[in-house]
Amino acid sequence: MIYVNNLKKEFKKTIKDPGLKGSVKSFFKPKTEIITAVDNISFHVPRGEILGFIGPNGAGKSTVIKMLTGILTPTSGSCEINGKIPYKNRKSYVKEIGVVFGQRTQLWWDLALRETYTVLKEIYEVDDAAYKKRMAFLNEVLELDEFITSPVRTLSLGQRMRADIAASLLHSPKVLFLDEPTIGLDVVVKDNIRKAVKAINENEQTTVILTTHDLQDVENLCDRIVMIDKGSKLFDGNISELKRRFGQSRELRFVPYDFAAVEALDYKTEFGLGEDDLELENDGHKVTVRFNSDTIPVENILNYTLSKTHVKDINVTDADIEEIIKGIYRSEVKLDA
Amino acid sequence: MRKILKIYKPFTHAGVLLAAQYRINFIFFILGDILMCFINYFLWKAVFNSGGAETFMGFSEVDMVSYIFISFLTSTLAYSDGSYAVGEEIRDGSIAMRMIKPIRFDLAFLFQELGERTMSLTLAFVPLVAGVELFKFFATGSFRFSIINFVLYLVSLILAYLINFYFNVCYGYSAFVLKNLWGSNFLKDCIVGFLAGRTIPLAFMPPAVGAVLNFLPFASLTYTPVMIYIGMYSPAQIALSFALQIFWLVFFIALQQIIWNACVKRLSVQGG
Repeated sequence: MIYVNNLKKEFKKTIKDPGLKGSVKSFFKPKTEIITAVDNISFHVPRGEILGFIGPNGAGKSTVIKMLTGILTPTSGSCEINGKIPYKNRKSYVKEIGVVFGQRTQLWWDLALRETYTVLKEIYEVDDAAYKKRMAFLNEVLELDEFITSPVRTLSLGQRMRADIAASLLHSPKVLFLDEPTIGLDVVVKDNIRKAVKAINENEQTTVILTTHDLQDVENLCDRIVMIDKGSKLFDGNISELKRRFGQSRELRFVPYDFAAVEALDYKTEFGLGEDDLELENDGHKVTVRFNSDTIPVENILNYTLSKTHVKDINVTDADIEEIIKGIYRSEVKLDA
Repeated sequence: MRKILKIYKPFTHAGVLLAAQYRINFIFFILGDILMCFINYFLWKAVFNSGGAETFMGFSEVDMVSYIFISFLTSTLAYSDGSYAVGEEIRDGSIAMRMIKPIRFDLAFLFQELGERTMSLTLAFVPLVAGVELFKFFATGSFRFSIINFVLYLVSLILAYLINFYFNVCYGYSAFVLKNLWGSNFLKDCIVGFLAGRTIPLAFMPPAVGAVLNFLPFASLTYTPVMIYIGMYSPAQIALSFALQIFWLVFFIALQQIIWNACVKRLSVQGG
């Protein structure tokens, strides 16, 4: 369905020295520098899958989406979607896709929302009957009725995003690109949008590519994730695989009767660990120990802790996906990919 | 052709709605321009009064008055926002939102602008033409309205608008390089206005300069239609100027396509 091969995008950037002098200098003799925004990324998405595309700010997510939607031409490499090359047959290609950029809108700012849909209906050559049916369906999942006659500029961000998503789905696209669709939205709206995306994916086998910073989106929606940073791919797989691979870190939390006794705990010597393998934090209310269950079995660490201290409360938790990803972004987790 | 109309007609409709949103704005704009017209009118009246001659460089006073008001009408109707609209979308990156639609930009912009123009058409056209004709009637004592010239003028005006539109779209693409068009747009409007004969008729220029300016695309924007309207052109001149207008229209459509294709390859969308 979607094949991406060694996709690469370089930008030329003008470097300007600071201040007025720098501006004048760069006006006459601009210095440029080549920046690689996306560096040899490859992946494949089968039909009907929801792929989460994640990475920190500036990782190159949006650039990839812009190449996949035919807005940008790759410097090298290729991508093929529905058997078409986005930047070559742009007009026929975009008929089959829907795109939402969370930070922009495709709605007509000064006109009533309904007018946008009328224009889109003609652009995509949707016939009257199909249009009616489609609007009824979109209305049901996205609840557009309450604001469909209002000018777009008066809509709240949540309404606008719902309207934008509806606009991208009017022509029943085969592939839906969502670039940060939940940015700046409250929990209820986020939840509605997730449900709508899920419903459309299930009803119509729409392939969805989603970029987001909200890991709840990923956990609730995505079958698979591709993680990129600094233009390169870091991880490609499903969420349980991510957890299995990077999620062996655990947290032991306990509240001792006597905080002074904690000093006597020496995990590093006991288990023969290096400097980075374990982290101990004592804030006077509770003690937190972060460790990897591959190096130290949970049973051993519990036994050792309990043999040295008396505790009021103790528990061990799984690191959640957010922690794992934070770790990867900060390169704390070693990647053996 | 019918399919094109069907797809792009909603843009015209949206354009009408948009223009209606800002109608007060538009009325003030027109009023300002009409004031400028009257300043021009009194200026030329002074020239004719002090000269004492019946005609000035082949223009009678009535011709001059017609020229002032019809050139104003022509430049208002053939006016195109293309460079601003295109430039602004490139500057803020919203051009991306057009690229994800199965449409041609030039046509989308064109049909939208036509919709926005209908307002100026109805508001400015009838009163100005009627006003000029009434003035001619009172000044000369006879009714000299030529239907043929008027129809030829309309054809020439439509060509002028299309040339202006595509010229402005080409110009708007320079935002890909310049990133911001505010200043250069202003400069462009001044220069084009002068070269199109909006300030003074091109016939008043030294013959060599006039000949060159007549051939440049800018004369086609205002000067040509106006000269046809006030009946200063012979049938041969009219035929030649239509040929020239069509040539420039084809030229700018082709140029626009070439620039667009080149720009898309090295496009960097600004912001987000």
